[in-house]
Amino acid sequence: MEQTRIGVFVCHCGSNIGGVVDVPAVVEYARALPNVVYAERNLYSCSEAGLSSLKQGIRAQRLNRVIVAACTPRTHEPLFKNACEEAGLNRYLFEFVNIREHCSWIHRKDKEQATEKAKRLIRMGVAKASLLEPQEETESNVIPAVLVIGGGIAGMTAALNLARQGFRAHLVEKQARLGGWLPHINRLCPTDEEAARLIDSVIREAQAHERIILHMPATVQEVSGYIGNFHVTVAEKEGKCTFDVGTIIVATGAEVLQPLGLYGYGRFPNVITQLELEERLRPPPSPSPVNDGGGKRWESTVFINCVGARIPERPYCSRVCCMTSLKNAIRLKKQNPAAQVYVLHRDLMTYGVEFERYYRRAMEAGVRFLRYDIERPPQVVGNGRAEAVVVWDTLRGQERRLPVDAVVLNAPLIPASDNATLSRLLKVPLAESGFFLEAHVKLRPVEFATDGVYVCGTARWPADVSESIAQAYAASAKAAIPMRAGAVTAEAITAFSVPERCMGCGTCVVTCPYQAIELRIANGGHVLSGTEGLQKQVAWVNVVQCKGCGSCVAACPSKAMQQRGFTDQQVLEMISVISGL
Amino acid sequence: MSEQDFHPRIVAFCCNWCSYAGADLAGVSRLQMPTDFQVIRVMCSARVAPEWIIKTLSAGIDGVMVLGCHIGDCHYIAGNHRAAKRFALLKEMLGFVGIHPDRLRVDWVSASEGTKFQTIVTEFVERVRELGPTREFVTAHRRLDTD
Amino acid sequence: MNTPEVEIRERVRQLLDDDRLPGVLGLRAEHGHVGPHVFNSADDLTALVLEPRYGMALVCQAILDGSPKGRLGVVARGCDERALIEMAKLGQVDLARLVLIGLACSEQQARECMCTRPYPRRIDVGEKVAGVAPGDDARVQQLLAQDVQARLAFWQSEFNRCIKCYGCRNVCPVCICDACVLEEMCWVERGKIPPELPFHLIRAYHIADKCILCGACESACPVDIPLTTLYALSQARLKELFDYEPGLDVTQKSPLTTTLEETPLHEL
Repeated sequence: MEQTRIGVFVCHCGSNIGGVVDVPAVVEYARALPNVVYAERNLYSCSEAGLSSLKQGIRAQRLNRVIVAACTPRTHEPLFKNACEEAGLNRYLFEFVNIREHCSWIHRKDKEQATEKAKRLIRMGVAKASLLEPQEETESNVIPAVLVIGGGIAGMTAALNLARQGFRAHLVEKQARLGGWLPHINRLCPTDEEAARLIDSVIREAQAHERIILHMPATVQEVSGYIGNFHVTVAEKEGKCTFDVGTIIVATGAEVLQPLGLYGYGRFPNVITQLELEERLRPPPSPSPVNDGGGKRWESTVFINCVGARIPERPYCSRVCCMTSLKNAIRLKKQNPAAQVYVLHRDLMTYGVEFERYYRRAMEAGVRFLRYDIERPPQVVGNGRAEAVVVWDTLRGQERRLPVDAVVLNAPLIPASDNATLSRLLKVPLAESGFFLEAHVKLRPVEFATDGVYVCGTARWPADVSESIAQAYAASAKAAIPMRAGAVTAEAITAFSVPERCMGCGTCVVTCPYQAIELRIANGGHVLSGTEGLQKQVAWVNVVQCKGCGSCVAACPSKAMQQRGFTDQQVLEMISVISGL
Repeated sequence: MSEQDFHPRIVAFCCNWCSYAGADLAGVSRLQMPTDFQVIRVMCSARVAPEWIIKTLSAGIDGVMVLGCHIGDCHYIAGNHRAAKRFALLKEMLGFVGIHPDRLRVDWVSASEGTKFQTIVTEFVERVRELGPTREFVTAHRRLDTD
Repeated sequence: MNTPEVEIRERVRQLLDDDRLPGVLGLRAEHGHVGPHVFNSADDLTALVLEPRYGMALVCQAILDGSPKGRLGVVARGCDERALIEMAKLGQVDLARLVLIGLACSEQQARECMCTRPYPRRIDVGEKVAGVAPGDDARVQQLLAQDVQARLAFWQSEFNRCIKCYGCRNVCPVCICDACVLEEMCWVERGKIPPELPFHLIRAYHIADKCILCGACESACPVDIPLTTLYALSQARLKELFDYEPGLDVTQKSPLTTTLEETPLHEL
């Protein structure tokens, strides 16, 4: 049998690891571990130089097992596995040890102990690596169709992008019309174009496209399967409809907070939300602009930003509201140049080239800006209707009393109320905020950790129209990859049963969530358990159906069932090397 | 050995989709914790065999955590259901043979719960420190056979 | 009023002669020794006895496995039936091939075994007695009253006598694995006597959702380790946590294999 030759590559990650963990000492330690024939350190293992050194090390040292001790496998495991493959090593002979997220970043105050822990983690990794076996991946097909959930600008853009490339797109929209929020919006900033014009053309195209199958109004009831083969049930007016797709895109958008009880909203008729203002500002047949029904033109309007946002209960910034305030403030000034228009803000998020320019336009148009603090929020006072806003102006250091005809509240986008249901249906996570959680905020921003499911638009975070469109293109482009390839390879972490040890008890069959295991007659001629002439049934795993959870392995009493890459022997060995006895 | 000198050996089995990601988030957020635990990654909390826990606590490891997705959120539909039930029973059995059930902690940590990960790990390390090393009873058991 | 012995013999004769069953498994006394025997002729029945108690389930399995088809009768006590039901759940016997003659145990027999259910589902011979109440087992009560440290000391001294004869495992009807993990190096170290805690606790966990408390393990143990004390406690918890009792219904699945919707977990 070939001798095990393990190489350990320890990453400094700049100072992220190296600043806490004594990397040279760790390399020294690794070198002395059983089966380790080579150890080196890299500044950034994931860089060109680091990868090149890795590949060279594999070849020069004739390594047959590789360990990289660095960040989290959830970011770079595929990168290193590819590098191993390029160097001629089976990608399943690679083990990732996390000494950054799970060590240097969480033990900054105790460098000595952090270093000892890094050594222990690597020792465990080496123990496991010694028992790794090469694996071959199996291929399964991908249906060239996508399910897009949500018919707003993001959903329609994604569906159109894929339909144009030749894929079938099932577009499911829960309301009775397409467009999401845009039909309710007046104009878009910074271009000031009419939202209706933009959204109407997209709606027309989406409805007309031959490869877009519209389900509206409809909701997704059930989703089963996996990338390449999702089986979807949708509830429509006429009843249930089922179809199969290869990929899924979540574009369900967000809702707007109704700021009941804040700043007199719900109590005073002339305190309205930004969305309600948009409706009024739209061209007829909407109510006439800046007309609150009393026939009086607004001589003084106060916008209050961050209403119910950037507070302990809801700490995030909703990204689009500051620009919306500026846009509508300018609009009001345009319609009535003499009017007093105030924007009360905490901070102003007008990032980039265009937005900063827009801010200056607002100032030039005469919009007044006033900064308030979260500790002393504005007060809306009045009898039966809002008459004035009293606010502590932090820049001037004095209290101001602003008489008003209308108060416009800038409330944030909030997660849609059915996010939790959808999250469970698709088995994708939600962030603490309640929005959907992407696989990685930087490296994988438009997909979920679950293969074949993608996300775009305000379902993920508050975003403006251009960002939603860009994300929709990104998500649909990613979805196109497996559909274009026509096949995906499943990770070889599936379960397998050793027939000589199996008693056919069927416990695994019951435990499997995917019905991937069945009992079959043992191989012809192979007699088990001394049962002359009898044919024993043993467990057999369908590796295409198996998703690698390992539940069957834990349930099996004889441990006939094992999981590739997570065998009992590997885990027990990892534990024994740190048990200290 | 004083409580201060005792560095418990603790293993935390974390599932790839939720608790391992939650642990990563705790790292990204630079939430500081005691060093006395090592994470072992599994795909699902259902993979964690109760036999591992039995071996682990008998082999000189002082505490074990099994951290999975919240019930209802398991990536593999209901793996954590099995984990919940298996370990509920195992905990009782550990208590019956004289291994303190607090040495096994089963909890649910989502991918966005970095703070929760920090809290429960810190709590657990402290609890295990209170309980003392398992080494004492393992070696005591061995000593008997030389009598 | 006939003795149970006489009644059983009559039942067996009926199955052999009238129903044409090829054989019935029971106990035979010969030259002062008693052992399991397949009676296939009414002429032998005078040798059929009912004592001492002898677990029939594993013998049933061996006989059924030995012939690819055909049916078998068996004189079965409550524990035998429950064992057969559990073995059927695990795919080890086909209940359709068995015809049970249900024999209820006496008060004295129930007390000897500390049995809480000393009768099969259908009683053909014997009178049903209530059996021992779960709280009556003095050893169990004593263990429950002790703290963790005391329990550890107790089991250490008990398990210390273990000579790793595998008697407990071999005689257990629900320990079905030919390739047993207790014989694998990674789980239990070879050549160590007494074996360490995993030897006992892994088996206890493996049978926790299957054990029908027949007590055969404790009877078999040459060094008198009070195994049923531990298993009775596990069974009590199994009932409290999942409202589940092994051996009663062949269609009921172990709660450890099902979802929380199928078998909920109750708080203690």
